[in-house]
Amino acid sequence: MDVNKQPILELKNISKNFRSIQALQHVDFDLVEGEVHALVGENGAGKSTLMRILAGIYTEYEGSYYLDGKEIQFHSPHDALEHGIGMIHQELSVIPELSVAENLFLGRQPVTRWGIIDWRSMEQVAQKELHSLGFDIDVTMPLERFSLGTQQVIEVFRAILSGARVLVMDEPTSALSPAEVKQLIELVKTLKSQGRSIIYISHFLEEVVQVADRTTVLRNGVSVGTLDSQEATVDRLIGLMLGREITRSTHPEEIGSEYQETLLEIKDLNADVFSDINLNVKRGEILGLYGPIGAGHFDLARALFGLYKFDSGSIILDGKTFPHGHSARYAIENGLAYATESRRKSLLLDDAIYRNITMPHLSKIGTLAPQRAKELAAAVPAIQQVNVNPPDPLNPVGKLSGGNQQKVAIARWLTFPPKVFIMSEPTRGMDVGAKSEVLGLLRKFRDEGYGVIVASSEPETILAVCDRIVVMSRGRIVSRLENKNLDKDALMRLI
Amino acid sequence: MNSTKTTVASLVEKLRALPKSSVWARRFAALAPLWTLAALFLFFGLASEGFLRPINLRNILTQVSTLAIFATGMTFVLLLGQIDLGIAAVAALSAMLGAHMFTKMGIPEPWPILSGIGVATLLGLISGVASARFRIPTFMTTLAMQLIAGGLVTYISKGRVITEVSDVAAFLGSGKIGGNDGLPVIVIVAIVMLLLGHVILRYTRFGRYVYMTGANKAAARLAGVNTNRVLIIVMTICGFTAGFAGIISMGRLHSAQPDATESFLIDTIGAVVLGGTSLAGGRGSMLQTVVGLLIYGTLRNGLDNIPTIDIYLKEFITGVVLLIALLINTVFAGREQRDQTI
Ligand SMILES: Nc1ncnc2c1ncn2[C@@H]1O[C@H](COP(=O)(O)OP(=O)(O)OP(=O)(O)O)[C@@H](O)[C@H]1O
Ligand SMILES: [Mg+2]
Repeated sequence: MDVNKQPILELKNISKNFRSIQALQHVDFDLVEGEVHALVGENGAGKSTLMRILAGIYTEYEGSYYLDGKEIQFHSPHDALEHGIGMIHQELSVIPELSVAENLFLGRQPVTRWGIIDWRSMEQVAQKELHSLGFDIDVTMPLERFSLGTQQVIEVFRAILSGARVLVMDEPTSALSPAEVKQLIELVKTLKSQGRSIIYISHFLEEVVQVADRTTVLRNGVSVGTLDSQEATVDRLIGLMLGREITRSTHPEEIGSEYQETLLEIKDLNADVFSDINLNVKRGEILGLYGPIGAGHFDLARALFGLYKFDSGSIILDGKTFPHGHSARYAIENGLAYATESRRKSLLLDDAIYRNITMPHLSKIGTLAPQRAKELAAAVPAIQQVNVNPPDPLNPVGKLSGGNQQKVAIARWLTFPPKVFIMSEPTRGMDVGAKSEVLGLLRKFRDEGYGVIVASSEPETILAVCDRIVVMSRGRIVSRLENKNLDKDALMRLI
Repeated sequence: MNSTKTTVASLVEKLRALPKSSVWARRFAALAPLWTLAALFLFFGLASEGFLRPINLRNILTQVSTLAIFATGMTFVLLLGQIDLGIAAVAALSAMLGAHMFTKMGIPEPWPILSGIGVATLLGLISGVASARFRIPTFMTTLAMQLIAGGLVTYISKGRVITEVSDVAAFLGSGKIGGNDGLPVIVIVAIVMLLLGHVILRYTRFGRYVYMTGANKAAARLAGVNTNRVLIIVMTICGFTAGFAGIISMGRLHSAQPDATESFLIDTIGAVVLGGTSLAGGRGSMLQTVVGLLIYGTLRNGLDNIPTIDIYLKEFITGVVLLIALLINTVFAGREQRDQTI
């Protein structure tokens, strides 16, 4: 990085606490013009908190904030945006029903002199702006017609069109397919070449190493160092993040399955988004369902659990044939567990951790009246098993960092272990440490004789734990393989 | 940090971001509706001699009892993030049907009362099924129910008041236990209803399902909750309480009038929300509804007790005070959620 360049933005000695939790301690951070500055750290390290301060969302903190060399204090995100700082949240804030152009101009639609929205100029400007960044899409179409990746891109453009010269991206790629990730990274590079500055948060360290000019590592709310692009390697970053070494296993250990018995059998399953699905899962194995987003594997997982309607076919679990149109309750009671890819959908953020864990099991905890003491007794071991941090069962889930929320979503199934675990994107949004913990958990389930299904669009996850892999594309199974001598590219070529 | 502006906005900001030392301040904030109630009590106690007299306190309870029965069902509905716009009309139907069967058709009790309540419950069930099965918002189904029930009331009553009610209804609505100065039956009924509602919400699995579904329907479904069934049961409960409130109100007025319960729709929603239960679902409780009811009752009664207030201004003052109370509640309640919603 050019040493004599003045930082456009500087945070000095920032501390922030949430009641008992010290989220940030004396953190320094700066950003120079035209750089991509990555921010990495374990779940709960304080990345999102720091960025929320930077983007004017948290206004109470200790320390000072300089913009263009002058001390400044934002009162709201809007205030920050007026000063050119825009944040793109992980949860998209676009409105799918509106057109691309409307989304781009949300809240600032150009009007004619009669005060009516000037659709024509709005659409023209939108088309032109997108074109200049290499995107040619029909801006009059509703946004929901486009992929998640494109929606993310539109969100980025919106921030730029409202005048952002500093862009904060908090885990922009965690829900994207590999092709979309590539697209986004290209966009980041283009924006950088236009002189904009970007802060990039991600748990995908390969991505980080690829785009970042500098990378700052946070650990437990403390900045433990900023590395230049020459110094930053994945292993170095991991070392700094965790303060210890971990073994990154990219392949499962030798399949130790002494079981042969089939636990779950799926015969000729058909629905609108998938067809002719034949699968079985043995006791003590992890079956991977791999495919790009939209391949139908996530819907297949939902269908098994009774949350997605299928037209024909049968599901047999441990010798028992599920009735057609079974409910989720039936699936749970007969030994299926399901963790969805979207934790926002599966958790009650305002509710205590323990209540989120006992949610599916209330009927087993108290026939009429669930008792708090019993619920706590059931939940606490599960919390410990997945290492939720902080582990206080009375904490609301919404106050946990993203990765720890995910752990809660998984922990809920450990209280009354099922026969088969179905997990969609089990490690989305998790840091390397947590990822390896969760993958370790999956292996443990396998070794204890459960069946596990992992549906994912991340080849790394699939390759790291699955014994067998079923590749899906456009709703059909396109190949079946043993996880031996496979690599990411080989897997991605199959779809 | 140098905060230069001390506008109202930044004051609100401060209240919302209380530092960790002020645990008491947060407790204080969490109980905002209770403080509102205390403030009203203090004010009226000082401003009027009659207000704090036991007989007047009993009056307050009597006055909010009918509202309390409506509010019991409405609390379930709002906790689920739904609405029931039909309660007032359904209550009128329950009363009118009961009175008609008793006086015009000569059917002995308990059949008229049971039929009234039964029909109200059935209408609740129908709204619930229609909303759950066909995904019509309860706003629409219960609006339709309002017209249906209202239409039936007009048809049965031909617009006329029935001025004779059964002894059972009269006892429920205006009887007293322990002589003339004793405890009104209506108050006991209201307390029993609220208590029952409280126990169901707080201590049963079904109550938990209501909160879960109201807070995050997708999450409830993922946990195996049949959210459609929860919706149907809740709408049925609300139909039942509306029907019951209709009978009680008839007993209190000693007549069944087509429009006697009209104002209860707004009052009920107002009282429940005043207690701090959120219209968006998932947040609130029966105890909070009790506080909301008492605020409502205190305000109404207190204004009656200050003779210097122009009676034509009362409605206006009630509205203004309610608005202020709501603002205070939401400013304090919003503080907790703010950080994580973004
Ligand atoms: N609103 C809040 N109230 C209380 N504690 C909070 C709140 N928001 C964050 N925290 C805590 O502050 C710490 C930092 O959280 P933060 O969300 O910044 O982590 P993160 O680095 O973004 O993690 P992740 O990678 O999991 O998203 C965590 O311990 C978290 O539990
Ligand atoms: Mg985060």
